[in-house]
Amino acid sequence: MNIKSEMVNTKKPLMNFDIKYNTVRKALKKLRSLRSFLLYILPASLILGFIFPQASGSLNSFGGSLIQLISFPAIPLVLAAVVLSTHSILTISKSKKSQFNFPRRLVITIFTLVLFVSMFALLLALYQKPGVLTPEGKLSIGRYMLDVADINLSLFSIDKGIIDSFQWFRDILPSNIIGDASDAETLKVITGSCLLGWGLSLLSTEKAQPLLLLVRSIYEVSLKVLDELLLIAPLVVICLIAGSFATISSEMIVALLNLTICMLLGSVAALGLSRLIFKRFTTSSERKKLTDNPADSVFLLGLSTGSSLACYPTIIRSMDGMGRDTNQSEVAASLSLLVSSMGNIIYNIIAITFALNLFQVTLTPYKLLEVLVLGIVTGISAAGLTGVSMVPTIAIALTALALPVPPVLVLLLAVDPILTLPRAATTAVLSMAICTICSEPKEARDLQMNLDNPNS
Amino acid sequence: MASVNFLICIICIGLYVGPSYGAEIEYFQNVLDRGYLKIGIPPYETPPYYYFDNKSNQMEGIDIDIVRNFANELGVKAVFDRDSKTYNGLLKRTGADEFDISIGKLSTFYKRMEDAHPHEYMKFRHALLANRKVISKLQGQTPNEKFAPILLDSRLKIGFIEDSSYGQFAKELFPNATKLGLKDWPSCKKALLEKKVDAIYRDATEVKKIVYEEPNLSLDFVPILFDDKIDHISMYVSSKVNPDISSMLEFFITKEIGVKTDKQIMEEYTEFFQPSKPAVS
Repeated sequence: MNIKSEMVNTKKPLMNFDIKYNTVRKALKKLRSLRSFLLYILPASLILGFIFPQASGSLNSFGGSLIQLISFPAIPLVLAAVVLSTHSILTISKSKKSQFNFPRRLVITIFTLVLFVSMFALLLALYQKPGVLTPEGKLSIGRYMLDVADINLSLFSIDKGIIDSFQWFRDILPSNIIGDASDAETLKVITGSCLLGWGLSLLSTEKAQPLLLLVRSIYEVSLKVLDELLLIAPLVVICLIAGSFATISSEMIVALLNLTICMLLGSVAALGLSRLIFKRFTTSSERKKLTDNPADSVFLLGLSTGSSLACYPTIIRSMDGMGRDTNQSEVAASLSLLVSSMGNIIYNIIAITFALNLFQVTLTPYKLLEVLVLGIVTGISAAGLTGVSMVPTIAIALTALALPVPPVLVLLLAVDPILTLPRAATTAVLSMAICTICSEPKEARDLQMNLDNPNS
Repeated sequence: MASVNFLICIICIGLYVGPSYGAEIEYFQNVLDRGYLKIGIPPYETPPYYYFDNKSNQMEGIDIDIVRNFANELGVKAVFDRDSKTYNGLLKRTGADEFDISIGKLSTFYKRMEDAHPHEYMKFRHALLANRKVISKLQGQTPNEKFAPILLDSRLKIGFIEDSSYGQFAKELFPNATKLGLKDWPSCKKALLEKKVDAIYRDATEVKKIVYEEPNLSLDFVPILFDDKIDHISMYVSSKVNPDISSMLEFFITKEIGVKTDKQIMEEYTEFFQPSKPAVS
């Protein structure tokens, strides 16, 4: 009797904690809705930035620390997701004999969507004309660039090191997957994980199973941790918007308004496209299983965290909720989030057009084709890079077009704290669209499996 | 009582007149007798270094203040001569002992040292103001640390003030470039804006001044600053004067004004380099 009562006493505080945690969790999750963002978070952030401009450094630093916390499960998640995806793609393609199988459908979907959004971004940039400046805009930009975009040369202590033409290749090859993961070398982790997944697919199921189970466990725990950490996303967005509002030069925002509007319109169009795809490629019974259109919550999460990878758990959960094949969703989401980041492609096409307009280059059909190809190539080459670190990838395109690199980068980086958010949201919401198109309902897949292997 | 008054009167006169010392160095005695230092300056307007100010109706500028302060230390006035035709002409006249000192952002190089003795008081980095597109085409993906040899070997079209030290520097530094001597610095700027030259060559303060005054130009034109190629700016004195004046001049430069860099000058005289209302064009 005494023992029982003691047990009850020890359980009570634990339950209390559970209840409190769940209440806080629910409240924080509610803050991640579009309504809360527009009604509470955005005004609160702007007021905070306006009233305490001197606290911008602390707010930016605190926001950066919270992003570091959210990014903590990113590398293990990338590693595990890519290993599992590669293994899934290779084993699915082996097991399914139907002509129009998943990997093929995935590649065709990504290719088509990349082409479509690139064309759309180009047309949007041509219409919006980012980089065409008024004399006042040119003056603001010039003032901002003073002393920043100079070239400092040393004539007598020249670096005589040889330029390695294959350095870019060396940079994507894995050296030691654990070392690369601990150094947060995302690109190397992706290629290393692809090789690991390929190796696993070559082994027999019995031999591959133990490692696959371990990777699956790493994946599950990373996903869970990321999902829980995302509860602080509203706090991150308050810190970042308030910090940026206080520090970013309003003069520069006005001067580069066309570029900012162009990118925002691009991301809103991506949201519209994703919503349309969701309606077109899902059945009404699938949609009934979800309370709202998941494209909205994915978009908002990307917009509030500035990280498309942070949307991964929401995409997978939504697909799972609709009864879509989890394996296929994981493959489609990881590939579209990590490799073919559409937000980066759209951004790069707009940014290249911005640079061409800035230096008054005539836009001939051939030049536009160059913009399209270079935008897609540089956008894909930014695989694994997040936030501000992807901006310099545009330098390759600028050099190919014989445009000055430093002033363009200086300007793009000046407004990047704003543009990084719609870029991440665009990548995430279009990844959701790819998952919706490619993944099959679980029942349909099981039926197909049975038709393929009637003896199984 | 009368003798006391006479004594007080003598003391007052003594105090008023004070002791008068003559200079033992003949040169300085001559300057004191003359009552002024004769200063040679180039025949140009180069604000903020030397220019004729219509408001005060006299010469003003950084260089002018320096020699005025030096003259004050001697207890004489500074009188300026702008009649020389070119920089090198000014140096010839200095060497011929027509001035006590010549000043006016004069670079130091061996040819000039054949005419007169330099005393360095400023050091400015050499700089180009170049067309960004031309430089971008030349540089490609080469990082800045490796770009210098490519730039120096290039066939750029470089403009500079004719008969100035930068003509000589351009000849030594850019052997393959097409070099174009122009009348003055505004002509150089005009040639650059009209794309008649790819770059113009002078010291960092003059190059940066153009973009500071018209920031909208910094989108199309880039200042290229050579961190280790320094233009040593000196005052010059003749061989006849140098043995007597050099120790005092060196003391004045090192202890009173210091050898200033281009960055210090641009920070100290912001009103000239970063005007509050830049032009919109």
